[in-house]
Amino acid sequence: MALHTETPSRASGPQPEQAQDRRGALIQTEALASLLAAIVGERGVLARPSELSAYSSDGLPGYRLRPRLAVFPHTTQQLVDVVRLLARKQCPFVARGAGTGLSAGALARGDAVVVGLNRLNRIISIDPLNRLAVVEPGAVNVTLSRAAGAYGLHYAPDPSSQTACTIGGNVAENSGGPHCLKYGVTLNHVVALKVILPSGEITTLGNADGEAEGYDLLGAFVGSEGCFGIALEVTVRLTPNPQGVRTLLADFTSIDAGARATSAIIAAGILPAALEMMDGPTIRAVEASIYAAGYPADASAVLLIELDGMDEGLDADVQRVEAHCLAAGARTVRIAANEEERTRLWQGRKKAFGAMGRIAPDLVVQDAVIPRTRLPDVLREIAAIAELRQIQVCNVFHAGDGNLHPNIGYDSRNPDESRRVGLAMRDIMQACIDAGGTITGEHGVGLDKLEYMPKIFSPESLAAQCALRDAFDPERRANPGKVVPVHSCREWVGA
Amino acid sequence: MGGRVSTVRVQERVREHVARGAPVRIVGRGGWLDGGRPVDDFEPLSLADDRAIVEYVAGDLTLTARAGTTLSDIAAATGAEGQWLALDPFGSRNGTLGATIATGSAGPLAHAFGTPRDTVLGLEVVTGGGEIVRAGGRVVKNVAGFDLTRLFTGAWGTLAVITEATVRLRARPERDETVALLVPADGALGDWLARLRILPFTPLALEMVNSPLSATLGLEPAALLLARLGGNDDAVRAQRQLLGALGDMRDVPASVWSTLATAEPNGASVARVSAPPSRLHAIWPVLSRIDAGSLAHATVGRGVVRSICAPSDDGNGQRWLAAIGTCEGTHIFERLPARAWRTIPCRVDDPISRAVRTAFDPARILNRGILGEVA
Ligand SMILES: Cc1cc2nc3c(=O)[nH]c(=O)nc-3n(C[C@H](O)[C@H](O)[C@H](O)COP(=O)(O)OP(=O)(O)OC[C@H]3O[C@@H](n4cnc5c(N)ncnc54)[C@H](O)[C@@H]3O)c2cc1C
Repeated sequence: MALHTETPSRASGPQPEQAQDRRGALIQTEALASLLAAIVGERGVLARPSELSAYSSDGLPGYRLRPRLAVFPHTTQQLVDVVRLLARKQCPFVARGAGTGLSAGALARGDAVVVGLNRLNRIISIDPLNRLAVVEPGAVNVTLSRAAGAYGLHYAPDPSSQTACTIGGNVAENSGGPHCLKYGVTLNHVVALKVILPSGEITTLGNADGEAEGYDLLGAFVGSEGCFGIALEVTVRLTPNPQGVRTLLADFTSIDAGARATSAIIAAGILPAALEMMDGPTIRAVEASIYAAGYPADASAVLLIELDGMDEGLDADVQRVEAHCLAAGARTVRIAANEEERTRLWQGRKKAFGAMGRIAPDLVVQDAVIPRTRLPDVLREIAAIAELRQIQVCNVFHAGDGNLHPNIGYDSRNPDESRRVGLAMRDIMQACIDAGGTITGEHGVGLDKLEYMPKIFSPESLAAQCALRDAFDPERRANPGKVVPVHSCREWVGA
Repeated sequence: MGGRVSTVRVQERVREHVARGAPVRIVGRGGWLDGGRPVDDFEPLSLADDRAIVEYVAGDLTLTARAGTTLSDIAAATGAEGQWLALDPFGSRNGTLGATIATGSAGPLAHAFGTPRDTVLGLEVVTGGGEIVRAGGRVVKNVAGFDLTRLFTGAWGTLAVITEATVRLRARPERDETVALLVPADGALGDWLARLRILPFTPLALEMVNSPLSATLGLEPAALLLARLGGNDDAVRAQRQLLGALGDMRDVPASVWSTLATAEPNGASVARVSAPPSRLHAIWPVLSRIDAGSLAHATVGRGVVRSICAPSDDGNGQRWLAAIGTCEGTHIFERLPARAWRTIPCRVDDPISRAVRTAFDPARILNRGILGEVA
C-alpha cells in the first residue's frame, strides 16, 4: 500500500503559459459547473475546495484527491443528462455511492467530476412472488433488507458497512459480507442492470425475466469498480429468511487453534451461513467500546459461527461444529440463547472496524484471500511480519472464505510509523500471494492495490482486462486510472 | 500431456490459424457438436487429450483441471473425498469441463447450486488473438481486476479457447434421496407451485417432467415432480414430511437423474423457455403437451422449461417451433436443424458484444458462426 497524498504538483513556480492554461482550465470548470447546475440546480453542484474536501477521500485513509467538481443528481433523468453532458465535454468522471469503499476507488483526480448517487436511493419495486427487487443505485444496502423483511425476505450480501454503503457501490465492488460464505457475493444476487455507458448510451445487461443469453456482460459489469459506466437501476434476487438460526461463539487461547477449527469445519463439508474470526487485539478493542459484545477479553481468538436453515437438522450441525471447535482446542463454545444475544454478538463483529478506529488515529483495513487450508500458516506469518515491522495488526475476517482483513492502526502524522505500516502491508500481500491467494476478496483494487496487479497477472492478462474495459468505455473516461495499471493497457493485439 | 506444454501448443495452433485466416472449431469429446448453430467451414482443434487434474486440495473444496478432463473424471476424484462438482449438464458424463464452462451448461442441480458462472473460480485461456490469459484465481472469493472469468464462461468458445479451469466444489450431503409427486391438473398448478416455492428448504433439485418423459425414465406415465433432497437425517426426514403434504409421494431411484440427462433422442431439437417462476404455471401446460411424443421438463425454482422435439419428417418441427413461439418468455435454443437457425435472432449483436468479440478474436477464427454473429 502506498500511503500518500496527492497535491497538484507545482514545479518551480508557474510559467506564464502554464498560468494561462490554469486560468483557462478554471474558466472551463466554471462553465462546466453552470451547465451541470442547469441540470441539477445550483445546490446540486459543489465547486469550492472546502465543499469538495468531503469527496476527496473514501473509507481508506492515506489517499486524498480533490475532484474537479461534484454533482448530485436527484432523478435518473438528471443523472442521464449529466453523463451525456460529460460525454459531450469529453470529461472524465467517477461515480460515488456512500464513499465507504476501502481501495480509494471513488477518488477522482483533478480533471474528473464526482457523480454522487446517494440521492437516487429509492426502492423501485419488490416482487415477493419471484423474490426480486429493483432499486436505484444509491439505495442503502440495509434499507433494502428492511423493506424486504415485510415479505419474510432479505438481501443476502451484507457488508459490515451495510448501514451506509449503497447497492450501486456493492455492484461496482462485487461486495461480500459475513453471510456470503453460504449465500454468495453480490455477483450471485444481481440478475439485471440498467446502466448508462460513459458514451451516454443506456443499455440493459442480464435478464430479470428469465435466463440470460449471449456474453455475460452483467457478470463483467459487477465488480468493474465504476470503470464500465454507471448502474442506473439494479435488479437483485431476495432470499427467504431462514426458519432457524443458531449463532455460536467459540473461544481459543491461540489464533492457530481458531484457524485449525475453521479449516476443519470447512473440510468436513459443513456450510455455515457465516464463519468469522476475530483475534485478541480486535476482541479487546470491541470490548472496550460501546459495542462490547461479551467476547471473552482474555481470548486469543474467537470464531463467530452461524448456522441457518430449516429447524430440523440444524442442531445436528451445531453439534458437529461444536465438536470440531473443541477438538481444535476451544475453551468454550457458547450458543446465543436468544435474538438479543445474537444481535449483540453480531454487532461486536460488524462494528469491529469502528472500535479499532477509536484506538488509533488512522486505520488501514486490508483485504486478501488465501486457500482455507493455509489459514494457520498465513496467520502465523502475519504475526511474524507485525513483530518485524513493530506494528499492531488486528485480524477480523471472513475465515470461512479464507478472506483475511489484517488491519493496522497507526498515526499518519508519524512518518516512520507510516513507512513501517506500508512495508508490513507489502509483506502481508506477498505472503498471501505466495500461499496461492489473491490481493483482494471484496474491497477491490481501486488505486490502493494497483501495484500488486502485476504480481498476480501477466502483462497479457492485464492487457486483456483493459480490452474488456475498452468494450464498455473506449475513451477510458469512467473512473480513469483505477484497477489496471495504465501502462498495462497500451498494447493489445485485438485493438 | 497437460499443463504449460499443451497450453503453448494450443497457442501455436491458434496463431497459425490466425496467420492463415482459417477458422477452427474447438472440440472437447465431441459429444455435443450440434449444440449451438452450425460452425462455418472449420478445422477441429481438439482438447480431449489434455485431460488431467492439476490440483485438488480437498480441504479447500477447490479443484483445478485441464479443459479435456471429463465430468466423470472429476466425479471419481472428488467422490473419493465425499465431495462433488455440483454441475449436472444434460448429456453424457463424458462431457469435458472445458465444454461445460464454454457453453455455460447446467442441469437440475442449478436449482440449488446455480450455473457455471456461480461455480468457476478461474480460467486459463488462449484468446483468438493467440495470447495466453489467466482470469480469476484458485480461491473462493476474488475481486482482483475485471472479471474475464465471467466473460469467457458461456461465450461458446468465440472469445478464447479454455485450456484450464478452477472450480468450487461442495461437500456431498449425508443423505441424497429422490422422491416423486404427481403434478396436479392445470387449474390447480399455480397454487401448488406457489406452495412449493415457499417451502422452508432448498432441495438439491426440483424438476417437473411431463408424462412422456416420465415414461422414458421408467416411471409411471404421468406428469411428475422429481425432488432431490439433501442434508442430514433430521433434515431429510423433515423435508419429506413437508413435501408429502403437497401430494401423493413415492421414492424414486437416484439413477433417474442420469437417465434424465441422456433422455433426449439423437437429432432432437431442444429449446428452453424461461420466465419469472410465478409464471411457470402458464407456460408448462403448453410446453408439456405440444404433441404426444414431445418431452419436457422444468426447473421449478428458476422458471425454466426445457422442451425436446424428436426428429421426424412429418412437419412436427414446425408445430413445435410455433408452440414455443406462443409462450411468453425468453427463448433459448440448444439444438435445431441447420435451416431453422436462420429465423432465430442472434444474441451477441449489440455494440458491446461486438466490441468484445473484436477485441478477443479479431480474426474471427474461433467457433465462427456458433452464436449466429454476423461477420
Ligand atoms: C466499516 C466498513 C466496513 C466494510 N465492510 C465491508 C464488508 O464486509 N464487505 C465488503 O465487501 N466491503 C466492505 N466495506 C467496503 C465498502 O463498504 C464496500 O466496497 C461498498 O460496496 C462500497 O459502497 P459505497 O456506496 O460506499 O461505494 P463508494 O465507496 O462510493 O464507491 C465504490 C466504487 O464503486 C463505484 N460506484 C459507486 N456507485 C456506482 C454505480 N451506481 N455505478 C457504477 N459504479 C459505482 C465508485 O466509482 C467506486 O469505484 C466496508 C467499508 C467500511 C468503511
